[in-house]
Amino acid sequence: MTAARPKYVGNAVKRREDARLLRGRGRFVADIKLPGMVYMALVRSPMAHARITGIDTSRALAQRGVLAAISYDDIRGEVEPLPLAERGEVLGDTDVPADHVTAQQSTAIGPIACIDLMPDSTAVLQTVLADGKVRYVGEPVVAVVATDPYLAEDALELVDVDYEPLEPVVDLLAAAGDGAPLLYDELGTNVFTTVRQEVGDVDAAFAAADRTYAETFRIHRYAPVPMETRGVVADADPVDRRVTLYSSTQFPHLARGFLASSLSIPESRIRVVAPDVGGGFGAKCEFYPEEVLAPLLSLRLGRPVKWIEDRREHMISSTHAREQIHEIEAAVDADGMVTAVRARSHTNNGAAASTLAITPTSIFSAMLRGPYRIPHYRVEAKAVFTNKTPLAVYRGAGHPQAAFCMERMMDIIARDLGVDRAEFRRRNMLTSAELPSDRGTEIVLAGKVVYDSGDYPRCLDMALELMDYEGFQREQEAARAQGRHLGLGICAYVEETAIGPYETATVRVDAAGKVTVITGSCPQGQGHVTAFSQLVADEFEIDLEDVTVLYGDTDVVADGVGTFASRSGAIGGAAARQAASKVRMKAMELAAHILEIDPGDLEWTDGGASVKGVPGRRLTLGELATRATAWNTDLPEGMSFNLDETHHHQAPGIAFGNATHIAVVEVDVRTGKVDILRYGVVHDCGTVINPLIVDGQVHGGVVQGLGGTMLEELVYDDEGQPLSTSFADYLLPTAAEVPHIVTQHLEIPTPLNPYGMKGAGEGGAVGSPGALVNAIDDALSPLGVRLTTDGPYSPSRVLELIDAARNGR
Amino acid sequence: MSRKHAIQVQVNGEVHDALVAPRLLLADLLREELDLTGTHLGCEHGVCGACTVLVDGRPVRACLMFAVQADGCDIQTVEGLARDTELHPVQQAFNDNHGMQCGFCTPGFLISTVALLEANPEPTEDEVLDMLGGHLCRCTGYQNIVASVRQAAVDLRREGSQA
Repeated sequence: MTAARPKYVGNAVKRREDARLLRGRGRFVADIKLPGMVYMALVRSPMAHARITGIDTSRALAQRGVLAAISYDDIRGEVEPLPLAERGEVLGDTDVPADHVTAQQSTAIGPIACIDLMPDSTAVLQTVLADGKVRYVGEPVVAVVATDPYLAEDALELVDVDYEPLEPVVDLLAAAGDGAPLLYDELGTNVFTTVRQEVGDVDAAFAAADRTYAETFRIHRYAPVPMETRGVVADADPVDRRVTLYSSTQFPHLARGFLASSLSIPESRIRVVAPDVGGGFGAKCEFYPEEVLAPLLSLRLGRPVKWIEDRREHMISSTHAREQIHEIEAAVDADGMVTAVRARSHTNNGAAASTLAITPTSIFSAMLRGPYRIPHYRVEAKAVFTNKTPLAVYRGAGHPQAAFCMERMMDIIARDLGVDRAEFRRRNMLTSAELPSDRGTEIVLAGKVVYDSGDYPRCLDMALELMDYEGFQREQEAARAQGRHLGLGICAYVEETAIGPYETATVRVDAAGKVTVITGSCPQGQGHVTAFSQLVADEFEIDLEDVTVLYGDTDVVADGVGTFASRSGAIGGAAARQAASKVRMKAMELAAHILEIDPGDLEWTDGGASVKGVPGRRLTLGELATRATAWNTDLPEGMSFNLDETHHHQAPGIAFGNATHIAVVEVDVRTGKVDILRYGVVHDCGTVINPLIVDGQVHGGVVQGLGGTMLEELVYDDEGQPLSTSFADYLLPTAAEVPHIVTQHLEIPTPLNPYGMKGAGEGGAVGSPGALVNAIDDALSPLGVRLTTDGPYSPSRVLELIDAARNGR
Repeated sequence: MSRKHAIQVQVNGEVHDALVAPRLLLADLLREELDLTGTHLGCEHGVCGACTVLVDGRPVRACLMFAVQADGCDIQTVEGLARDTELHPVQQAFNDNHGMQCGFCTPGFLISTVALLEANPEPTEDEVLDMLGGHLCRCTGYQNIVASVRQAAVDLRREGSQA
């Protein structure tokens, strides 16, 4: 049989999903309007840490149009704590020991699940409304429902909540230390998880080192901030206890499971729909209190309940990201090889263990070494509660922090050794001959870190050439002679992508030969429809327009996992293409039966089965689909009706993408302004399905990392009050601040995927903080500036750093 | 509750009479009363630009304007851009250049681009960036949006010269 002729995969196919959105005909959660719909609004805590001494909703309930006002006391019996055993099963994680599960249940005090717990963690779960105590500004305390969204907001001001302030704990290291105020008294500590990685003999390597280095790196708090805020519409039938939940979620099937557990309703009676979702980036890879409250209130009221987060709410109640402190030591031998790294890390998880609370800590701890050999390695990483908004994943999860720290360290060591930083990196990088490489570490929910494929030194060298590294050094010298401060920064990284455990797809063909793909991966703008259409159209050798892709509705898509961890193209795409391949095989078998010919004498061409060497003797996909129906019963012995197959693609391991980013900046030392002059990315995501889409992902990721590095910061005062709650205070990059990004693809297929695909969604955001900060550091190094924070590098902060260096501080 | 006001607006060429509360936002009039949900609300404080519509030909943040202020005005929303089955050249340029991903911010970018290119068919790079600087997008990194606007300028000029 001849292989499908390449047609769409690998080409810059324009997106099929655009036309509808361009015409304003998208359907986002906020666009949904149902008969009898009423509106929820939330009274949120104005205090970071306080005991609730009284809640009085009577004034609100007396208002015209107000239908309900509930606190946790009103629903305590109605929402169940989520048993952790079930949560483990949601992601197929069977490694949770039974005694551990029991221990967890005893501390469970609410229904919002944390699914990435480590075995030795002492988790507490979020309640959907505050239970006796508030732990961050923005925590939901009372839910109000009214007939009009304006009236619901009015009613919030009529809810009286009395608070008795408690001492807030905001500082990360203080929270982890002895004697800090406790968020959860029953735990006896704010440190709820410690992740450990141990590889080789670290102490011996340090003892034998020629030189050692120690640095403390601080990563600030910023957030995904999708342009669409979160939102839900719940439409429940209180008689049958059936619930439909429209939610701006990245994982409708997981949300269905969480909601089922929380409301004690069977999953089969819950339908979760993720309609058009306006960006996620991790912020919607969480199960949130509102996703329980709206269904609960809809069940009580017998009317659809809608809640749309406003931007201020988003800034205080959707998950934050990144904030960590890392004390990192490195040992280097006489040959300039980094022999060992050890790190003590802390993550500021805020006030609750959110759905993916541990992942940033876990990924950091497992991936800090990036592409470098570093045979001896130890990390102890603690996840810590503070009175800030809960923290979880954001594009790259722990990878941007890891890449930033490692790549800063590489520059610091190379400079100290007087070795060219590119050469120093090359010397320490794993070569392609050393792959696969078992790194001896493990990522929670994803599995063992075994680098599968890639050519890290080649990727580095391509980036150096792309950005004219040699030429830059002359340019920098010339500029310095004129008193101008140019800098170049390199950031090489390896990234966990394409994680399992699986994704599912169904492919079916109708009598007209048109193909429907039903996928468990749902998009938030990534272009799944186009990419999956390309894969399936190529399998059948049919037009892209003949493929329809359905997603995001758990009543349509029986099973699925979701979109996160750069997994959809590789895992969802493989599932779709393999399901299509199964259908095609069945169609071939049927064709051979109908034509009474040996299957070996058939070939698949242009959407049909053709007899080899006999032009025109063929059956098209549509003809075969028609013949396969129950009404045309001449099927081969044992063949089931219909051209319809479901495939679960199970990933045999994590596929690791990699890249090198290079940034060139100029710093004006009088104003502190940083101009990003040039930016280049060479990356390896394996087989590229659609370069237009992949480049778009890289651009978007780079600029999100740039935003965090140059502009964005979630600032808190000492009392735990958030100070960045609007776009006037929280600055996002605009078109005027971003460089032109040059990209090159190095396509090294992974053996872990039948089509060689690794992930591309997050990498841009992984590389840009390290590249930009290294570039700024390079520019300012003649002034004695040495950077150990990831930003944001506002002009005033840059000036402070320059002044401090000049004054010897 | 203060009494409602009778207003008349023309939206995408169609005249609508509406009875609105004084505090009803123009964005909510369009989205909730007229079911034109292509105008999106991303921040409700006038920064992100997703809700931009043309009011008497000028780009306006529909989240910062009350419906009563639009009484008697001619409004154009993203739903009014396409010409029957064909996309507007600005819309087509965003598709050609992958100038959008999730599509949430896109209506605002389209409207402001249409307004810019009508007022200034041959904008300089700085003028384009100045206009785009009034809009936030979290998906694209802007590079392909800039390319889309450049192409749209060329296409509209070509179309104008042929007309």
